[in-house]
Formats: sequence, structure tokens, C-alpha cells
Amino acid sequence: MRCVGLTAGRSRGSGGGDSPIPAVTDSEAGTTGTAPSLRRSPGRRPIPDLLFFGLVTLGAVVLLVLIFSIVIILASQSELSFRTYGLGYLVGTRWIVPTSASPFQVYGAVPFIVGTLLTSGIALLLGLPLALGSAIFVATQAPNFLRGTLGTAVELLAAIPSVVYGFWGIYVVVPLMRTTVDPALKQYLGWTGAFGGPVTGDGVLTSGIILAIMIVPTISAVSRETLFAVPASQREAALSLGATSWETTRIASLPYARIGIFGAIVLGLGRALGETMAVTMTIGNRDAIPTSLLSQGQTISSLIANELTSNSGPLQYSAVVEAGLILLLISLLVNVAARLLLWRVSGGRRVVLAQ
Amino acid sequence: MSSRLQRRKWWSHLLTVLSGLCVAIVLVPLVSVIYTAARIGGPALSLSFLTSNPPEACTPSPGITCAVGGIGPAIQGTVIVVGVAAAIAVPIGLAAAIFAAEYPTRWLGRAISFTADVLTGLPSIIAGVFIYLLLVIYDPAIVFSVISGALALSVIMIPIVTRTTELSLRTVPQELREAALALGIPKWRTTLQIVVATALPGVLTGTLLAVMRAAGEAAPLLFTLFGSRLGFEGFNRPAQALPLLIYNFAESGAENWRELAWGASLILILMILVTSVLSRLVIARMVRRMRGS
Amino acid sequence: MSTPAPTSPPSDAIVRQKSRTGVYVAVAIVIVLVLVVAGFSAGWFKGSSPGGGSPGVCQPPSGTYIEGAGSSLVFPLMYQWETVYGGGTAVNYASVGSSSGITDISAKTVAYGASDAPLDAAQRQTATGLLTIPESAGGVVPIYNLPGVGALDFNGTVLANIYLGTITQWNDPALVALNPKASLPDQPIQVVWRSDGSGTSFIWTSYLSLESPTWAQNVGKGTEVNWPVGTGQAKNAGVSAYVGETPYTIGYVDLNYALTDAIQYGSVENPSGTFVLANVTNTATALTDAHLTLPTAGGDWYNVSALNSPGSGDYPITSLTYVLVYQNLSGAYGSSMGMTDAQGLVDFLYWAVTTGQSYSTQLFYVPLPAYIVTADEASIGSITYNGASVPNSCGASV
Repeated sequence: MRCVGLTAGRSRGSGGGDSPIPAVTDSEAGTTGTAPSLRRSPGRRPIPDLLFFGLVTLGAVVLLVLIFSIVIILASQSELSFRTYGLGYLVGTRWIVPTSASPFQVYGAVPFIVGTLLTSGIALLLGLPLALGSAIFVATQAPNFLRGTLGTAVELLAAIPSVVYGFWGIYVVVPLMRTTVDPALKQYLGWTGAFGGPVTGDGVLTSGIILAIMIVPTISAVSRETLFAVPASQREAALSLGATSWETTRIASLPYARIGIFGAIVLGLGRALGETMAVTMTIGNRDAIPTSLLSQGQTISSLIANELTSNSGPLQYSAVVEAGLILLLISLLVNVAARLLLWRVSGGRRVVLAQ
Repeated sequence: MSSRLQRRKWWSHLLTVLSGLCVAIVLVPLVSVIYTAARIGGPALSLSFLTSNPPEACTPSPGITCAVGGIGPAIQGTVIVVGVAAAIAVPIGLAAAIFAAEYPTRWLGRAISFTADVLTGLPSIIAGVFIYLLLVIYDPAIVFSVISGALALSVIMIPIVTRTTELSLRTVPQELREAALALGIPKWRTTLQIVVATALPGVLTGTLLAVMRAAGEAAPLLFTLFGSRLGFEGFNRPAQALPLLIYNFAESGAENWRELAWGASLILILMILVTSVLSRLVIARMVRRMRGS
Repeated sequence: MSTPAPTSPPSDAIVRQKSRTGVYVAVAIVIVLVLVVAGFSAGWFKGSSPGGGSPGVCQPPSGTYIEGAGSSLVFPLMYQWETVYGGGTAVNYASVGSSSGITDISAKTVAYGASDAPLDAAQRQTATGLLTIPESAGGVVPIYNLPGVGALDFNGTVLANIYLGTITQWNDPALVALNPKASLPDQPIQVVWRSDGSGTSFIWTSYLSLESPTWAQNVGKGTEVNWPVGTGQAKNAGVSAYVGETPYTIGYVDLNYALTDAIQYGSVENPSGTFVLANVTNTATALTDAHLTLPTAGGDWYNVSALNSPGSGDYPITSLTYVLVYQNLSGAYGSSMGMTDAQGLVDFLYWAVTTGQSYSTQLFYVPLPAYIVTADEASIGSITYNGASVPNSCGASV
């Protein structure tokens, strides 16, 4: 009888290609112990295993086909726009739909790329310190009894759906911005030139703030995990050298967790880039490059939500789809970068587990 | 040197306070959202709210009282659309994860892992647009339907299920598989009844994560589910779902519709929270039982 | 050949095989249950009839299910119709805006579209075979927020100049001349327009184009235009909320919206020189006095306009709103337009333009005058399915 499936080199991950030794539990074996399967030529897989392999491969193929089909369909529907503008679409700064007075139309992605980058940038600028601060507090400073509760509370932020954030934005944040925050910003920081224009309450800054709130749980949770994963010995060593608690965090935990935290940031950025509902409801939906932080603007996702079916002709339709394709590619790139970073952190561990 | 020590300590205290402040600031929106939802939507909650149809749009004024109505069709729609999406996404995600974890030397396995990881960051509106574009070509009549919405949600769910399942499968020790194979259990039974069974808590967590995410998404449903006043009328008919109802009614002029939307927000948040808490409890119990405690 | 059994704790898993299988079965049952519940609960939430029983005997064939999408101006009326007609389960209408309605019907993802803006030449080329059938009419009114100021009078030229940005202050001489008794403040006017593709915008910009050659030349009419000044808000609700909360703003909303929500709006001067505060009566007379020459249902309706009708008490910003439906219904809705649905759609349209008009006034819409109803009945009568005409199964209109 062949002993298979036990040696290090061959069996590891080699799939179901080994003919099994007749199992005691195998009902086919009968009482004599000589199983029919022994008579099969070695290396041939039994049918159920093949079937299983086939099903599983099918699932895998579906996943791969999915990502390719998304790209292909978006690309095919944006063909008209691509043929008309070529790469100039990426630097086009105007988005003008035809009207009865002027059938002139021109489309360019810059207003929406700027809108997307601005809102995501504001979200990171505001959300990052908050998320890191919370993560550091919960992971290193909080007394033990509070740790779980606070951690869960921050994660609850992630349980609130995006559309509810947008709704809350309209009810609470926009009036607050319009009556209190925006005028104050204009008054005290107007000299920077970044707060010009009319005060409407909604706009790039407002959606950026709401986005910041939404990405805090993403960055915070991953950062917290990374901080937790720092070996206690590191912190103990720093403490034993007389470091204060903040210095311990700075010297021992943060360097260890740096790559993971960076990956978390990129993940948060990825989430902010693709966010639709909360932004659509609070950004003001203006198809032009925002000239100030208080301007109304448009991100790529809010553009799609508002104008995919707005019927201004086939060129506009394909331009909207092309903007979606750009968003898809940007998000995929950002996520690839994030995953590569995170894989590097846990890369060693992963390999051990897999084999 | 004690003044320097004092300074360092003071600095450390300051930063502790600052980071604690961060936590406090972060929790303010959480409290505000739930408070707003409870304040405006809370009074409308009742059993009939959960089972009635939406009312006619109206704003109370002298001589006009508005019907309260309910969100029955939206709750029913959410359960059905998410259920169908799960029925599509879980088998596919499970299959892909098993492929990646159990047959990993193939290049396809690594590609699957990476693809699933990357797809979890897909903007949710792109998922909706993808299905919309696909169905407009294939059969325009079902562009706005339950099956269309379910497909869009499953595009969001599949990568989440795949990724979390694969990670869980990888935590199962290799000796388990080898022992099972050594005992002659065929590969397919090993995988299903031993490996997946052992990793079940993780698999279920991943599935529930995906379900909770899908339940809260409105963007994929914008161009696929259509929304409806009525309840479920068939898989090829449009339907309503809670996030879509909230979006449709949020910017309405009618005050009773806006209150309805807040009530729906409250219900949606509660549904997600309860699922999260329950699933953690159930899975923790499962893990305890498996550990033989 | 035998290895010692693994000593790690999860070896219990092999012993507990049965309970694991139980979990799989449980999960499978949950999924099946959802689908079964779906099947059983189909039709649980049938539309209620808040308006009482439906007058008239027209009922759709059972199993009819029609989807419509489009104009938000007509949405409250459509909603009333769909809850009353056919027990409330036959029609489902989504208020996505006129532009999206045109997109949807052009792509055949719905059975009928509704739009306040008729199809332009490009749209008629994209979606051939669409009939334009007016099913209701309404008005558009200017709303504003001036603390301490009451009713205001406007005329078309002033409104156009405000929206062009040539009149920038509330106490501009042109406004003061129209409102000598009002104490208009020395404040800049903040202009608000609809940021979504809206039929209301189409009506408003059509009126401004009529009243101002500069506007007609530089901006024009459409569901979306390049507004020279001001900020955009989405939907009637967005515009009215913004105007309501921000002083010194001006915007425009549908008349039925303003009346339902008790929003203050201004009077507009009509061609006879009267300043008219819009209501259902004077929009109705506007429609009758306009003596519209209606094109054929399949023709070009882009220049049909009830704006600036000649009657002395007419409200000048009145407009029809249209249902768009394919003349040949076979294949007009993918695979789902069967004979029953076609019959149901035709019956619904007949019912809407006849009996359905009785709901208009209470919801602040204009009932269609008789000559438009007659034209509509002829248009609906031209609808065919598989080459055969689809008669109104209700018989004569009730």
C-alpha cells in the first residue's frame, strides 16, 4: 500500500490527485480490507473529486471574469467619448451639455477628478489624525475595561449606511456649515483665498467633512489591529528604559506599525474615492472645477448618480460612463497599492499559514 | 534633569488627552446621527409602521392631517433582494475561496486572492452601473427588477465573501487536511466537512459582513431596483429597499415622507446593529463549542 | 500507513461531523426560506386606495403590471392614479425626473415615460416610434425669501435679467418699479436653479427664452442648461428648502408643490398686463385660451407651448406635461410587454386622460380641456400590438 499524502514535498497543496488508502470508514471497503480503489491506476482522481474541482474552479473563474467584464463593459460603452476626445478627456476642463440655444457640447473629466481628489483629500486631512489618534488611544492608552467598548463604538460608525450619513448631512451638517462654520471660515481664513464665493452650506468642504467621518472607522480599525500586533516586548523594553507612555508609543509601536498604518490610510483613501450617496446629497452637483473650498462641485461618483440617465445625447452618456471607467481604474490602483503594502506587513505570516 | 523629565511627562499626558479627544470627537457624529434618527423617525415607529405601505405625500397644515403609513414594502424588499444576492454571492465566493486556499500552487489561486482583495474596494455605484449596462443590452425589461438589484449587490458581496472565507480557510492547520487525506477521505469531503467546517465561524462572519454591507447600500440599486410603492411582485419586477427608499424620500417636499425616511433610517441602523451583535454572539458560541470548552 | 491522529483541538470537528452538516443544512434552509417567503409574500403590500373606490368601470386585465418613470412635476397625480386604478397593483411609477424618464423609455427599460419637456429632434431620432400624449398640465411659480416683505410682482423680462445676472440687487430700479409699495432691501439676489435634469427647468427656461431674446440666444431652453449665475439644488424640495432657509434667494418650483407645501410665491405679469398669482383656475384658463394646435401624436411637440396665453386672467407660465409611449407595443418593453400588459397600458392611458382628470384639481393640477382629451383618445387609439390595434377595453370613456 502506498503511503501518500503525508510526505512534505508532494502532498503540500498538490490537490486531490492522490489515490486514497481505503479508509476504515469507507463503506465500499467491505470486510476484507482490499478496496476496489486500490485497483485504480495511481494518479487518477475519483469522479467526485473532479466534479468538486470543476465546481470550485468555476467559482474562481466567475470572479476573474467579473473583474474583466466590468472593465470591458465600461470601456465598450465609453467608446464614443474616447473616440471623440482621446486622452484629451483626461485634461478637459469643461463639461457643457447641449441645449436648444446652443447644441455645443464638450466633456472633460477634470472637474470631477478635481472634485473627487479634493473631497477625498479633505477627508484624509481631517479623518486621518482623528482615526490615528483614536487608534493610538484605544490600543495603548485606554484602560482595559474601556478598550473593547471604545473600539466597538468607533466601529459602529461603519455600521451606519452611506445614505443615512447623506441624510444626516442634509439635516444637520449643511445648515450648520451654512449658518456657522462657512461664514466663520470666510471671515477668519478668507485671506488665504480658499474660501471665496457664496455660502450655500453644501459643497466640497461639507462633503469632505462627512467623508472624513465615514473613513475614520476604516483607518482606525486597521491601525488598531496593527498597533495591537506590536509585540509586548517592544513596549516593555521602551518602558524599562524610562520612556513615558507617549514616547513608548512613538518609539516602540509606531515604527513597527508604520507600514500597516500606511496601508490603512490607503484603504481609507480607496473608500473615500468610491463613496457615492453621502457625497451626492451634500456636494451641490455643479459640473465645474471648484474654485474654492466652499464651492459646490461634483465627484465622479456623484456625476454618475446624477447624470447617467439624464439623456443629453449619446456623447454625454458615453462621457459619463468613461468617467466611471476612470474612477474604476483609480480605485483599483489605489486598492492594489494598499493591498501590496498590507501584504508586505503580514507577508511572512501568510506564507507560513498557506503551506 | 527633572525639569526635562517633567516636560516629557507633560508632553505625554498632553498627547494622551489629545488622542482621547480624538475618540470623543469621532463619537460626536455617531451620537448625532442616531439622535437625529431617533428624534425625527422615532415617533413614527410602531408595528403598523413596519407592515404598512407608504402614505400619500403630504405636509401637515391647518385642516390637513397626514397619514403615517409605513415601510413594509421596503423591509420586505431589502430582505428579499439581499437574500437573493446572498444566494448568488455565497456559493460563488465560497467556491472561489476554496479554490484559492485549497489548490494554492496554481497561479489562478493567487490571482483569485489578489482579485478578491482588490475588488472589495470597487466603488459601489460602479457595481450598479455594470449591471445596468449589461442588462440594457441583454433584456431591457429586467433592468429595473429584483434580480437586477440582487445581481448588483452580489457584485459587492462576492469579493467580501471570497476574501474572508479564504483567510479563514487558511487558518485551518495543514495537519488536519493531511490527516483526513491519510485516512482516505476524498479531497472534496475533506474540504467541505473538515476544513470548511473548522473554519465555519470565520466563513459565517464574512458572509454576515457582506450581508450587512449589502443591506446598507443604495448606490448599486439606483439604476437597478427602481423602487416601488408596492411590495414584492415578482423577481422580474421592481421592488423597494430600505436604503433606496431613504434616498428617494429624503429630498421630498412632503414632511411625512421625510419623517418616514428617518424612521426607515432608524430601522436600517437597528437591523445592521442587531445582526452584527447577534452574529458575534452566535459565532463566539460556535467557537467555544468547537474548542470543546 | 497510519499516522497518529492530529492532537490539535479541532480534531473534534471530525467527531462532530453531524452538527457541522446541520449548520450547512440550516444555512441552505435560510436561503430557501427567503425565496419561499418572497413567493408567498408577493402581493402582500397591495396598494391601498386612499381616495376611495375608483369611479368608472375601467379595470385592467388581471396580471397587468406597468412600469412608468419620469417627471416629478406630475408625480403626486400619478401616485394618486396608480393607487386608485385597478386596485392599486397595476401601475408603478418612479419619479426620476423628466430627463431620466426620456432615457428610460428610449432604452425601453420602462413601459411608459413621463416628461414635462417634449422630445427634441435628437431624442426623436434616437427613440423612433414614440407617441407624445399630454396627460396633465401645471404651472411653475417663482419663490423667494425676503424677510419682512410680502407678496411680490415679477415680469418675464425682470426674471430673465435676474437669472442672466444683469439684475443683481433686490432694490434694483426694475424691481422697485414693479413693487413700489414693498421695501426691497439693498442686498444681492442669490439665484437658485434645479441642478437635476428637470421638466420644471424646461418650462421655466422656455418662458425666459420667450421673454428675453438675450436669454434665448445665450442660454436657451432645456431640462439642463448652462445657467449664467446662481447655484443649483436638486429637486423641488432642494430648491424650496434652500430658498426657505436662506434670505435674499429666488428660485422656481412647480405650482402644485408650492400649494401643497404652503410656500409663498410671487405673481407674474401676463401678456395682457395683469399680475397673476398662479392657482388652478387661472392655469386652467391659460390652457384653454392657448388654443394649442396639437401636432400628431408621433410628430414634433417641441414647440407646443401654453406659455403667455392671451386671456386677461391667465397665468403665463403654464405647461402641458406628457406621457411618452411607443406606438407599436410589441417589443416595446423587452420581453415583458405581453398582450395583457399592452391592453392594461392602453386602458390605463384612456382612464388617466378621462376619469383620471377628476383628481387633478384637488391635487392642484389643471384638468385637460376637452379638445386635448379628444386628441389624446385618438392618439391612444393608434397604439398597436403585433400589428393589431389595441382597443380601449373600457368602451366609451366614462
